[in-house]
Amino acid sequence: MVRYVTSGATSVTERSLVGVGIVLFVLWNTAPLAWLVTSSLMHQQALTTTPPDFSPASFTLSNYTEVFNSAAQLGRGLLNSIIIAVGTTALSIVLGAPAAYALARLPLPGRDHLLLMVLAAQMFPAVVVVIPLFIAASKLGLIDTRISLILVYLTFNLPVVIWVLRGFFLGVPKGLERAAEVDGASTWQTFRLIVLPISLPALFAASVFAFIEAWNEFFFALIMTRQESQTVPLVISAFAGQYQTLFGQMMAAAAISIAPVVFLAILLRKTILSGFADGMLKG
Amino acid sequence: MSAISLQGIVKRFGETEVCRDISLDIAKGEFMTLLGSSGCGKTTTLNMIAGLEHPTSGDILMDGARVNDLAPIARGIAMVFQNYALYPHMTVADNIGFSLRLKGMPRDEIARKVQPVAAALELSHVLGRFPAQLSGGQQQRVAIGRAIVREPKVFLFDEPFSNLDAALRLRMRGEVKELHGRLGVTSVFVTHDQEEAMSISDRIAVMRQGVIEQVGTPEEIYARPATTYVATFIGSPQVDVLAVERGSEGVRLGQVDIPLGEAARAALRRHDGAVDLAIRPEHVRLGDTGIASTVRLSQPIGYATIVTVDAPGGGMISVRVPGLVKLVPGEAVHMHLDPEQIMLFDRASGRRLATDPLVPEG
Repeated sequence: MVRYVTSGATSVTERSLVGVGIVLFVLWNTAPLAWLVTSSLMHQQALTTTPPDFSPASFTLSNYTEVFNSAAQLGRGLLNSIIIAVGTTALSIVLGAPAAYALARLPLPGRDHLLLMVLAAQMFPAVVVVIPLFIAASKLGLIDTRISLILVYLTFNLPVVIWVLRGFFLGVPKGLERAAEVDGASTWQTFRLIVLPISLPALFAASVFAFIEAWNEFFFALIMTRQESQTVPLVISAFAGQYQTLFGQMMAAAAISIAPVVFLAILLRKTILSGFADGMLKG
Repeated sequence: MSAISLQGIVKRFGETEVCRDISLDIAKGEFMTLLGSSGCGKTTTLNMIAGLEHPTSGDILMDGARVNDLAPIARGIAMVFQNYALYPHMTVADNIGFSLRLKGMPRDEIARKVQPVAAALELSHVLGRFPAQLSGGQQQRVAIGRAIVREPKVFLFDEPFSNLDAALRLRMRGEVKELHGRLGVTSVFVTHDQEEAMSISDRIAVMRQGVIEQVGTPEEIYARPATTYVATFIGSPQVDVLAVERGSEGVRLGQVDIPLGEAARAALRRHDGAVDLAIRPEHVRLGDTGIASTVRLSQPIGYATIVTVDAPGGGMISVRVPGLVKLVPGEAVHMHLDPEQIMLFDRASGRRLATDPLVPEG
């Protein structure tokens, strides 16, 4: 990020102002995370006194061991979440990318209406669609299955993926596709061999979005699952009991649950950033 | 039989008519340039020959067969694009060999075909690099290599040098001309640069607002432009078109009689209607005698000096004086217009009055 700041800002004052802004922004974003990690490492007792007791004796790994020992649920939840998030992501891209390309380039009749309809699926509040979806899933015998959640998440993720990728495909220089056409490529070959490879950054970005959406989703998971297919957010919420909330364990579970997403973001950070920064219009 | 024949091509994008009744025959092995300013329909015409656009009406024939409905690949054409359009994620070798790969050619055979092409274009040492790692000239050569490797029947060039700097453009121009001489493949070249068109082409089709104004060899187009538009578009500095009256021995420019050559006088007698005069800067001489005038501007360009002087009756005339001469604005000079080189145009239609049998009066 620093790269863009220094190239844009010229004077020392400007640069330090931008620096302060960045520090505030980072603090704002990481403070909750830091608190989450810290409290996951503290005894319930030390955590619930006011002010919290930060003496070395308050710190422990017991929350993590407790979470792993007492809650076999978390393991199953993690597995469910991974399968559902990966499944949602993969299907979003596999279905979304060709759709986005068709909507960007092919002379389809009523293309603009189609695009709006795609977006319309996004516009309904979750509460409006949850009952019909529940009934449909129930009639199909899909309640408490991973497939039901993947299908539900697809309906919300696909429109976004299609719009994001379509925007990117529109920016791919037409000359490249014409060159491929002259070279003898079919529309499908042009898409697969030229457009997709140079759109990798956008595909990554869309994938990360779809993954995180599916990973963090709570509401539909709560309605559509019972036990077998419960995802991590549901498992975490179970630490808040009727009489007592096990803050430390809850935070430990939350820390475990966000680990894959953070890891994914760090892993793909370079690809996503470099892709968007460099652009591919040089060709 | 023509390699390419355009017959009454009309192309509309919605309401906009980009090409209006274009007919053009291109001989086998010929280097034809479509020349015109932006928006004249030259690139659209090229895209229709390529098969990337389809005419609204009219026919495109290649080797006598109608190709309107054929895809680019079935027409045996190869194209070099203005922005090179290299595939950024492929190496130079893969870029050049892409069309062969699509044909399903085995990898080692592709490599065998790519190598001599790369060698001819001095790209052998960069075959493993990506387009972004190449200089502009190298990128341009990769684009040309990609076209050559397919051994096409027709080369199409869409303003291939417009992104290059002046020196490189001159060099690539030479390379393309040399390439055409060596391969002898029918070529259609699109440019807005009249000098480029003059230097590289067997024939030039000057286009304007979707129609072809004139087709001819560079010499014909320069010496005998069919219209005032062609006359002003070709040549640098531009010719000046001046309104003249009919006079006793020819025409009158303001109060000054301008003598004409025999052919121009005959053409003027045959013609009725108002006429304009144009003369190229190299056909005007500055001296001690002739039409009195005043220097407005003097621009040395090295091997010559372009002097702009007042024309009698208003307007200006550019004069090309050989070598470097010192003339200051306001200085009094005399000029002489070569009577044999004066061009006359019908003012209403802009068409040139025929002074020789080569260009029939329009």
